[in-house]
Amino acid sequence: MATSIAATKRPFLTLPFLFPSLSDSLALGFRRNQSSYRRTKQRLRVKPDSSFDPSNLGHDHIIHNPPSSAPNAYHTPSKFLPADDIRKSPIVSSTLNADDLPGVYKSMPERKYHLTPSDIEEIRNLRMNDPMTWSRNKLAKRFECSPVFIAMVCQASPEKREIQARILEAVQSRWGPKRRMAREDRQLRREAWGRDA
Amino acid sequence: MKRLQLQRWSSSVLSPRARTVNRLHQHIYGQRYQSTAPPVQTRDDQTTAIFEESSPLDEQLAQIVKDSHTRHSQLQYPSPPVEAARQSAKLAALHARLYLPSRLPIETLARTLVDVSADPNPNFNNASLATLGHDLLSYYATEHLICTYPRLPLTVIFAAMYAYVGPKTLAAMAREWGVDVAALPGGEVDPGLLQFQRLEPGTELPSGPTHPTARPYEAQKNWRKTVTSKIFYDDEFGDPLKGAKHSPAGVTTEQASAEFVRSVMGAIYLHAGRAAAKRFFEQHFLSRHLNISELFNFQAPARDLTRLCARESFERPVAKVISETGRKSRHPVFVVGIFSGQDKLGEGAGASLMEARERAAVAALKGWYLYSPLSVRVPSAMEEPSALPWKPVHVDLGEVIV
Repeated sequence: MATSIAATKRPFLTLPFLFPSLSDSLALGFRRNQSSYRRTKQRLRVKPDSSFDPSNLGHDHIIHNPPSSAPNAYHTPSKFLPADDIRKSPIVSSTLNADDLPGVYKSMPERKYHLTPSDIEEIRNLRMNDPMTWSRNKLAKRFECSPVFIAMVCQASPEKREIQARILEAVQSRWGPKRRMAREDRQLRREAWGRDA
Repeated sequence: MKRLQLQRWSSSVLSPRARTVNRLHQHIYGQRYQSTAPPVQTRDDQTTAIFEESSPLDEQLAQIVKDSHTRHSQLQYPSPPVEAARQSAKLAALHARLYLPSRLPIETLARTLVDVSADPNPNFNNASLATLGHDLLSYYATEHLICTYPRLPLTVIFAAMYAYVGPKTLAAMAREWGVDVAALPGGEVDPGLLQFQRLEPGTELPSGPTHPTARPYEAQKNWRKTVTSKIFYDDEFGDPLKGAKHSPAGVTTEQASAEFVRSVMGAIYLHAGRAAAKRFFEQHFLSRHLNISELFNFQAPARDLTRLCARESFERPVAKVISETGRKSRHPVFVVGIFSGQDKLGEGAGASLMEARERAAVAALKGWYLYSPLSVRVPSAMEEPSALPWKPVHVDLGEVIV
């Protein structure tokens, strides 16, 4: 048994049947591939993890390898514990260093806080008076802020919103049942995130 | 366990008194509609004696007439008489099955089974007991929830209250306790059956409030009702208060079962005291498993978490990828953690970075809201004799409002 385990540690080059053969790629018709029962078995023979080997310890022990799972929702993070709770520990005992991890977004936009109330008044005027020219993106570019901020401070005029709703309706009327259903499913899945379902 | 079929045995096994199921006997004893217990107020010994002695026909006829009079007097009451409770096997079994205190008499247990729609007389129905039991149940459930999870949002508290002591749960409990319902209420019914006037099939149930509430601008249907106002104006489940409970049309089985369970609670409180009522609540209501973490539904978890961290003056939460697999494949899996400074607040896995981030924010918010102090004492624990001095429970600022 020990020898067979050692035998699976052969380098990749000694397993020629893993490479696509020249005749395979040239053959036009159906051809049986070269894997056999013996070869498949041999490749599946993987050396078990050392924690599963009972002989390396001198005494009886319990093998406990829990599968990875989501953290328990009832476990309050240390930061969220109130100050008078004895479970709150001042030391961060995390093996993860947050600074080493990559962020979800490629770059976090820098927060500038440069707009004054008069600027916001101007944004509102522009959007109300000429909504076709001054869209959210154009305003965001001109005032060097995000379109979300534009949406926070002002709203398009009712006529513009009606036009936009009619455009959306026209686009959606051209959707077939598959696309419509896929969009609805996507929306439902998105709502399920908040329920953690 | 199946009942023995005594009639099929040979007559040598049976004494003449056991072999009494024949038409004449039914005639004398009266037709019993739904009961397995002997009907009340029939003088059993006397009738059997007459039957066995084969008295003259006149005396038998006189007895039949007398019994029919008894039966008539029995039928004139809408609910079974008080003396019938001692005769009912169902009641005794229910009393034993629920492990009710012996100080709770079986007559009171019989009274808890009479709904107000069956007997409108307040001295014989369970309305007063149900009112008391309802208040006790709401109080015990509320103090348990608020003291155990001091940060729960109000909507979640409402949902958890509905799950613990809502009518659907109480109806399920009555069914689990093995309480059968009578087809029709009446004086001849076995007192161990739940008696109520059923609602006619196809009757429309009133959905909204049936009577004017104290809420101002009630007529404005499309105005937004804040969750906070529901504490003041609505019931403990956040629903509008219902009006008069008894309507002539009858009640549903769910309503009658819920009233029964509430009145059992009230009866235990009245007869056996506060400690027994508390114990009954813990054994029958709190022991039901409720996963509160499944009651949440967040619309914008990432935004809420940012507001929460700003309110509690933590560092701004940042989403970081902890691990990932198959980014360019059809089924990638990302594990994203939300960090505030060096502390991980939550972790979530998803098929896209957005999904994983949202799930991580949900996990972080649940970690905040589901905080539970170590030693939880409820205010009603102070009612016990020789209680330790009261230490104030954790009071939270409240949920995040964006």
